[in-house]
Amino acid sequence: MKKTGKRGNILTENIIFIVLNLAFLTILLLFLFSKTGSVAVLEEKYAKQIALMIDAAEPGMIINFNMKDAIEKAVEEGRNPANIVLINENVVTVKLSEKGSNPESSYSFFNDVQINANLDTTNNKEYFLVINKK
Amino acid sequence: MISLKNKKAAEKIISVYWFVILFIVAAAIVYMTASFYGKPYDARKIEADLLADKVAKCISEAGYLNEEVLEQQFLENFLGNCNINFNVEDAYGWREQEQYYIELNLSDFSSGEKILEIKEGNTKLKSFCNLKGDNLPVCLERSLYVINKDNNQYRADILSIIRKTEKNAQ
Repeated sequence: MKKTGKRGNILTENIIFIVLNLAFLTILLLFLFSKTGSVAVLEEKYAKQIALMIDAAEPGMIINFNMKDAIEKAVEEGRNPANIVLINENVVTVKLSEKGSNPESSYSFFNDVQINANLDTTNNKEYFLVINKK
Repeated sequence: MISLKNKKAAEKIISVYWFVILFIVAAAIVYMTASFYGKPYDARKIEADLLADKVAKCISEAGYLNEEVLEQQFLENFLGNCNINFNVEDAYGWREQEQYYIELNLSDFSSGEKILEIKEGNTKLKSFCNLKGDNLPVCLERSLYVINKDNNQYRADILSIIRKTEKNAQ
């Protein structure tokens, strides 16, 4: 009887040990995913990428680029994916959430061209930029 | 009995150490992630490169000098003629302080005689170019060789500077 009790005790201790380890790792992974895929990080990343793409572009070009992760995040946040890339004069703004305004979500470009940014409705994962002369 | 007790105590100490190590590893990962994602992406080097490219494309085409560059009318509206716009977003007081600067020096390749000098943007930014530090404007120098239709050789030196410190370096 004693032996069975000890075995039970060892098993419980091991289970608690494993559960605690798993809980610890889960919290760590959740923290990493929340940091890497946060709205602010994605907004800043895409605003700068789009501004650089426009700076490198020539009139007559059409640039397609994948924004799957940002579009998914915008849908999660209840935002219309067709309105997440906004271009006003020579400033790109990427807005994935309705909450507040993040100054890092806007970035200016120096290339003086006319730009139309549209969601590619065939797959809803990409955006395309149409570059024209002003 | 004594050895069994010792073994159990040793196991408990090991599991405490295990959690201490786990905590240290997690703290290191959290610190590295927070410091990496807490800093903004620095896009200024690419931007300065693209600005220099834009000026180079404006003054030359396939290695030949764009002769319009030498005309006074072209120089008066250099930025407009090269399709460059130095307007920026209204953040961190950027509208009051220009964030870009370009300088172009065109000289005769053999004699070194200066033919043309263009300075556009915030001239104050040039003074930061020889300094070292993270929160300073990014400077980029480029030189290219061009010829005109009469095979005269020219050297074009382009300096492009991007400030935008608040959004790219912290």
